Amino acid sequence: MPRDASDLLHGTLDVLVLKTLSWDAKHGYAIAEWIEKRGGGELVIVDAALYKALHRLEDAGSIESEWGVSENNRRAKYYSLTARGRAQLRAEAATWKRYAHAVHRILETA
Amino acid sequence: MRIPAGVRRVFRLPSSRERIARDLDDEVRFHVEMRTNRLRNEGYSETEAQAEALRRFGDVEDLRDYCVSMEVAHMHRAHARERMESVAQDLRFALRQFRKSPGFAFIATLTLALGVGATTAIFSVVNGVVLQPLPFAQPEQLVQLWGIDAKGHHLSFADPTFDAVARDTRSFAALAEYARGELSLVESGEAERVNAAAVSSQFFRALRVTPLLGRFFVPEEQQLGAPMAVVISHALWVSRFGASPSAIGKTLVADRKPVTVVGVLREGQEFPAGTDVWYPREIFEKNTSYTAHNWRVIGRVKDGIPIEQARRDLSMTLQRLHASLGEATWTFDGTIVGLRDQIVGNIKPLLYLLLGASAVLLLIACANVANLLIARMAVRENEIAVRLAIGAGRARLAQQLLVEASLLSAVGCIGGLLLALAGMRVLLTLRPESIPRVGELRLDWPALAFAVLISAGTAIVLGLVASWRGARGDLRASLAQSQRTQGGGGASYRIRGSLVVVQLAMTVVLLIGAGLLARSFVRLMTIDTGFRTHGVVVAILSLGEGEGTTAEQVARRTQYTHEIVARARALPGVTAVGVSDAEPFSGGSSNGQFIELSGADVNRAPADLMKDLEMMMRDKAHAGYATYRLASGDYFRALRIPLLSGRLFDETDRAGAPEVALVNAALAKKQWPGESPLGKVLEFGNIDGDLTPMTVVGVVGDTREEELAADPQPAIYVCDRQRPGNSPDVNVVIATSGSTPVTAPAFRAFRQVRADVPVRFTTVDDIIARSVASQRFMLLLVGVFGGVALLLATLGVYSVISYLVAQRGREISIRVALGAHASDIVRLVVRQGVALALIGAAVGAVAAFASTRVLRSLLYSVSTTDPLAFAGVLVMLCVVALAASYLPARRASRLEPMDVLRGG
Repeated sequence: MPRDASDLLHGTLDVLVLKTLSWDAKHGYAIAEWIEKRGGGELVIVDAALYKALHRLEDAGSIESEWGVSENNRRAKYYSLTARGRAQLRAEAATWKRYAHAVHRILETA
Repeated sequence: MRIPAGVRRVFRLPSSRERIARDLDDEVRFHVEMRTNRLRNEGYSETEAQAEALRRFGDVEDLRDYCVSMEVAHMHRAHARERMESVAQDLRFALRQFRKSPGFAFIATLTLALGVGATTAIFSVVNGVVLQPLPFAQPEQLVQLWGIDAKGHHLSFADPTFDAVARDTRSFAALAEYARGELSLVESGEAERVNAAAVSSQFFRALRVTPLLGRFFVPEEQQLGAPMAVVISHALWVSRFGASPSAIGKTLVADRKPVTVVGVLREGQEFPAGTDVWYPREIFEKNTSYTAHNWRVIGRVKDGIPIEQARRDLSMTLQRLHASLGEATWTFDGTIVGLRDQIVGNIKPLLYLLLGASAVLLLIACANVANLLIARMAVRENEIAVRLAIGAGRARLAQQLLVEASLLSAVGCIGGLLLALAGMRVLLTLRPESIPRVGELRLDWPALAFAVLISAGTAIVLGLVASWRGARGDLRASLAQSQRTQGGGGASYRIRGSLVVVQLAMTVVLLIGAGLLARSFVRLMTIDTGFRTHGVVVAILSLGEGEGTTAEQVARRTQYTHEIVARARALPGVTAVGVSDAEPFSGGSSNGQFIELSGADVNRAPADLMKDLEMMMRDKAHAGYATYRLASGDYFRALRIPLLSGRLFDETDRAGAPEVALVNAALAKKQWPGESPLGKVLEFGNIDGDLTPMTVVGVVGDTREEELAADPQPAIYVCDRQRPGNSPDVNVVIATSGSTPVTAPAFRAFRQVRADVPVRFTTVDDIIARSVASQRFMLLLVGVFGGVALLLATLGVYSVISYLVAQRGREISIRVALGAHASDIVRLVVRQGVALALIGAAVGAVAAFASTRVLRSLLYSVSTTDPLAFAGVLVMLCVVALAASYLPARRASRLEPMDVLRGG
């Protein structure tokens, strides 16, 4: 599926956020840390962009939020995946993989 | 379980901008602190860690704006969704309500459908006939030209007058004269009469039309004596040529001469309306007389020239012409009328009147539905009070009532459109020819928009009335009251009562209008026409033009007529057969000036005689004005026109014998008061071109012609065997004993004489009925509107009295328990209904008194305040109201007191 670059970046961040939340609810900082750790330090995210993505996804109904208490006893907003978000994650992950595979193949053979 | 959208929103979303911003700030602060901690643990100093965490976070302001704007949009969407959901909820609720009381829903929508249907049907007629521009380019430039005579009456144009106007005026881009007539088209032996128009060269240029097919006339076809070329209508093209393009160049036989089709006109652009064939006027000779007013004239005013200027131009030209010609022309002046006004001018006030009547009907329907809604509100007062008590906002309640009213109106609108569609079909079959442009009519977008608009207006009015009644509900009063009564309080009755009064008053206005029209119609139809109208069949045989010009043709025509009369007389059930050159009641075939030749030497040379005649024509004592009709002696017997003195035409009056004439009593009285007209010698050449003088041999009774309401005009009858006549038709008047149908055998008999002559049958009754078509049309519509209004008003009275009975059931029961008779109860209840009726009737009578003036021009010998119509309607209304309130009254009188008192 063809996509343009800016769309790719938005989409990438969104799908990463969804993936991050696929196991349990997390607050914004935990999500940022998780992505940085899993990305092996290759993916550095501007935090503001992450929060934009979070609010965007919440508005779209893919995730929902709730105020809770953090591991160090602080008030924090926890995000969790909705059913719609789960479906979106499956679809976007598949698309992304196909896309990455296609780019990879082109770069290898050229 | 569904959680209401409002609740979801309150719990899920911060409710204000500040709240959103605050939450976000908390979130960001937490994030930055966590990151700062981590960085400090990695060895950054406190200040370095903080700075780095903030840098890594990025633009907080931008994030805040982003989130706030997103939340705001979200809230707007949520609001809209909530509103939609509440409307959907109300719709479901309304549908449930209507399912619970289908009778109410049915009556209410039917009532609205009647109102909307009537108004929409009439509106589409008004729109199509009056409001839509004519289907020509720049139709506002198209005008009809008229001459004006000494008395200020409109006059048609004579050929030389038209030529002078065409030559001397400067304001017109094109001017054309035209005259309507008929042609007999013959194809494989079958003859058909079609409407034809002779048109001068600039006719199609003036209309600015282009042919659908072929072309219009070229100069070679517009020469004296040229073979006739014709342009045909779209309808004729379809019926005769199956809409085939090969029609161009084909030959038709018209009046026994071959004519060539050169063009086809577009559909809807036929002018004059109903014309099927157009041919060049120039192929026939022009009449040099300035008083042969045979032509109508249309013109197109030049671009940029105001109509008023064109009018002055025409007026000056004709005044100059009169100044130079003097007595030779009767055209003193001239004026122009916009072509659309010319076509629809007469019908316009009628249609606006009908639109007004239908609007009144719509109002009555609205009042009825409002009444029903209020009755339901009263029943639901408890429900509403409870809803208010548990916190439903009044706006929310009003919305629900509005949705209910809208649902009713929407269904009513659809029903109304269906009714309008059916109504228009009926309307068009009633009397199409009394409404011009009727062919252009359809239920189109403007009519649809109109129906939707009035329905929406109705919904809003009804919703507002209902919510004004409902949402003002006083909880405590209502709950307390419901212990005592079965419905609302007295205020509700007062409102409903006033609605019924308004309804009754408007009904009275409509009914009085209908009553006046009916009285006038009866007066018209019982007028003595002066001749027999029942059981007289008229056969119109179209011989066509040019059958009476040569002696041989005249002989043949006479022979043919003779044969036809003999055949008709032989038919069973036929009592007399007369002949004329025009239909009975048509006003004769011509009219104009005659001269009494007493003293003139009729044996002098023609040139000298003409001089004498001209002199005598100016002499009022020896000249007069009369209608002219060719007739046989039996024409008078067939129509039972009485012979007052002298004799009718008989066998001795044949060609070659001294020519004779009959006059009617009106002419005798006007021309020779106190003197016998018998033996007077008349000359009528000015009318039929035959200068042979005639001697008056008899006086016959007066007949009314053309219009029932018009007084009999002076008339001259000439003998059909002596004057050739110039009418293309032979009208055979067949009086029957009434028991045997005569049309079919007559048709067969006439076909045996000559199959190529088209025959059309009508009856004198039909001819007269046609003349009062617009009166009948008005009477029928206003009558139907009045009838429907009466029905609705009756329903209104019935429902409001039933309501009263239900409301006062307890009181009535107590009265019965205390010994009141059933008749006392009936009287008590009926009195309420009659009170409403009397107030309604009084208000209505006053309103009618003030408004029936608009009917004045439609009424014949009936005053607009005719006491009989007023009294009749008022009595009828009171009787109907009495009946409508008697039913609930009887129900009330049969109430079982103990049931009511225990059940209450």
